[in-house]
Amino acid sequence: MIAKIVCYTLNGLEGVPVEVETDVNKGIPGYEMVGLPDTAVKESKERVRSALKNSGLLFPMNKITVNFAPADIKKEGAVFDLAIAISLLKASEQLVGGEVKDIVFLGELALNGDVRPINGILPILISAKGHGFTRFVIPAGNASEARFLGGAEIYPARTLNEVVRHLLGVAPISPLETATFVPGTAASGSSDLKFIKGQPIARRALEIAVAGGHNMLMAGPPGTGKTMLARCLPTIMPDLTFEEALEITKIHSVAGVLGEEGIVSERPFRTPHHTATTVSMCGGGNRIVHPGEISLAHGGVLFLDELPEYKRSTLEALRQPLEDGKITVSRAGGTFTYPARFMLCASMNPCPCGNYGSADRTCTCTPAEIRRYRRKISGPLLDRIDLQVEVDNISYDDLTSPEEREDSATVKERVNAARHIQNVRFEGSGIHTNAEMGEREIAAYCTLTKEGDKILREAFERMKLSARARARIIKVARTIADLDGQENILPAHVLEAVSYRIYDKIG
Amino acid sequence: MRPTKAEEAIVWLAACSGLDYRACVAQLRAVRDPALLPQLRRPECAEQLQAFLRSLKEENLFFVTLASDDYPAALKAISDPPLVLYGAGNRALLKKRKFCIVGSRIIPPWAEKLTKRVSEEISAHFAVVTGLAEGGDCAAISGALESGNLICVLPCGLSECYPAAHATLKMRVRERGLLLSEYLPHEPAAKFSFHARNRLLAGLSEGVLIASAAEKSGTLITANRALEYGRDVFAFPHNVGAAQGEGCNALIQKGAFLATNAEDILSSYGLECKPKERPSLSEQETKVLSVLRDGGSLHAAEVAAKAGLRVFEATAVLSSLEIKNLAVKSGGNMYSAV
Repeated sequence: MIAKIVCYTLNGLEGVPVEVETDVNKGIPGYEMVGLPDTAVKESKERVRSALKNSGLLFPMNKITVNFAPADIKKEGAVFDLAIAISLLKASEQLVGGEVKDIVFLGELALNGDVRPINGILPILISAKGHGFTRFVIPAGNASEARFLGGAEIYPARTLNEVVRHLLGVAPISPLETATFVPGTAASGSSDLKFIKGQPIARRALEIAVAGGHNMLMAGPPGTGKTMLARCLPTIMPDLTFEEALEITKIHSVAGVLGEEGIVSERPFRTPHHTATTVSMCGGGNRIVHPGEISLAHGGVLFLDELPEYKRSTLEALRQPLEDGKITVSRAGGTFTYPARFMLCASMNPCPCGNYGSADRTCTCTPAEIRRYRRKISGPLLDRIDLQVEVDNISYDDLTSPEEREDSATVKERVNAARHIQNVRFEGSGIHTNAEMGEREIAAYCTLTKEGDKILREAFERMKLSARARARIIKVARTIADLDGQENILPAHVLEAVSYRIYDKIG
Repeated sequence: MRPTKAEEAIVWLAACSGLDYRACVAQLRAVRDPALLPQLRRPECAEQLQAFLRSLKEENLFFVTLASDDYPAALKAISDPPLVLYGAGNRALLKKRKFCIVGSRIIPPWAEKLTKRVSEEISAHFAVVTGLAEGGDCAAISGALESGNLICVLPCGLSECYPAAHATLKMRVRERGLLLSEYLPHEPAAKFSFHARNRLLAGLSEGVLIASAAEKSGTLITANRALEYGRDVFAFPHNVGAAQGEGCNALIQKGAFLATNAEDILSSYGLECKPKERPSLSEQETKVLSVLRDGGSLHAAEVAAKAGLRVFEATAVLSSLEIKNLAVKSGGNMYSAV
């Protein structure tokens, strides 16, 4: 008898339906798998055999043929175990009366019959729901992730026996209750702007960067709190919407880095070490392409500490995703596109010895050394970083202005207000923040006053700013004006924006 | 203009004969007129010379010798003037009055900005003589490049570039000003050639401005040579304790002129500085500028506190002052007035 069970495999972030067909026939006992299964799928033979036996079910002593359709795509991983087991049971007539049509079975089996959680359950469920499937049997371990999918009956199973009893109607599993999404309340707690002493300039830069979605670079001697400042970024970013959270969760689910709570409710903060390879950064892999750090940072922050220490090729690879907000990775196994709209925050020392511009130590580097060090970051990359600030180690004990004691929540309110202005401005145009503006938008939304235009011209002449820097400065000025609640960009906004381009001046 | 026989003879002696400086000088002393050098009558020597002149022409270089009309008179007065100077660019600059501005490679930002401004104003009257290194030299170049009254003396041949990173800068100097060297076009820089070059800087000029120099800086060689040759030495005063200014302060202590602007220098040559147009300042700018003038080097947050502004307002005003060349930012968000 032939049984057909629907299962899913992943192609990037898209679920692709795979039909598991099992035929149990008379003949010399044997077990054949066809339809381009990889090693992990072929090994399911032993897992399924033991799981059936240890669940008190019968492994048919017949000629068994399992086929995966469509036959032309590679089937990878252990996600098919449960589907194979159920199809075997159905084909060997151990599930008489049990209805399996239109149910999607997902899960890996343990030898004792337990159902183990798998990676990428959420993207599969979302795709499958899009394909019209509404009933799913999934591993109980994935329940926390799956409960955010509304409008479907999802049955979390702990063991194979539970699934069998559910299908036979002996002991139905109660479907998951749909959970409502609550954006993370910055539970991390340890990072908050109120814990940072002084650094008014860097604080302000963080606020502007987040408000306009700009990338930023902090330069400063070691131990001045660059990392601590960067860690505050997620605490002042706007809360995630459910759609954003789902998209981020899909990526994290595919990569298998999803935490306990099942959905990413806080903006990700990724800090790949500077030994990271280009593949780990951008995504890649042998046959399945795993999302890289830039995709895991989607919707959040990618923090690159000690920027000049990263491999040049790795940094250059960031340029295109920084522009497009997505990365397309091509491998022999296929071409995969992952979203990668992240905010880049980088930090670096001002010179090899680290003390250039330090208040209490003298720099011992020669100009040539400093130049060599800074040249490790290419012009085109630097050009994509709108805000460049110096973080210093001045003690602020006797300098306490009100903006130095603000906590993240207060700053976040201002950021939200600025983002709201931008959302209204860019409604329906496909862009969300000032940083994403192109020439057309700049012309439409960034009208400079006569005076502001004059200042910018002067700045260009005196500081020898590149033409590319112009657009960057105007965008930042737009964000500063938004924070200020101003309709037009005022001269003060332009001047402040100019002050955040320290590396153009150094040249 | 075609070189005279005497000029050709000196070039042959310096470039092709393989003799060192002393031997060349001895040879020249032995004859009444360099054109009468006995070796030049040998046909292979004449051929050698023609080949060398052709190679110079190919690289678009010219040369001046001790026998040339436009050999700088001031340089002739030093004890060991180079027999031949190779040049590229505007030859007419050799006849101008010359003033040397040099500084160490590591230079405080305020001194860099001041050097640039002074160089710009001096270049209205003098050809500014300097090197091609980072820091002080670069500041002097960027000030004088606009007017083209600029002579850069290299410690290597003119087809070489030291430091290599300044190849573009060198090209721009060649286009607008003049490059000079006493070395054969393809001779690389050697350790000693920096000292030798510094003697040319001092020898060419009527006076020398030292923008910055540490206690043991190569820049001081130029100052010492200038004293030796009887040229005026000017120096910027620096803060006590700043390593990059100790050499300058020591020079002033020993009697060098203290210069804080171009006027100080020009007036001692009886020249007048062009009256500067005062940039118009807003109320906030005036206030911040006065805070800066009172406080010396201040952190942006200190400026803000003293001027009664919020920090980001203060940075905007400071960056406006920076654009107007009235303030300068050094590392670590510190600002000072210029």
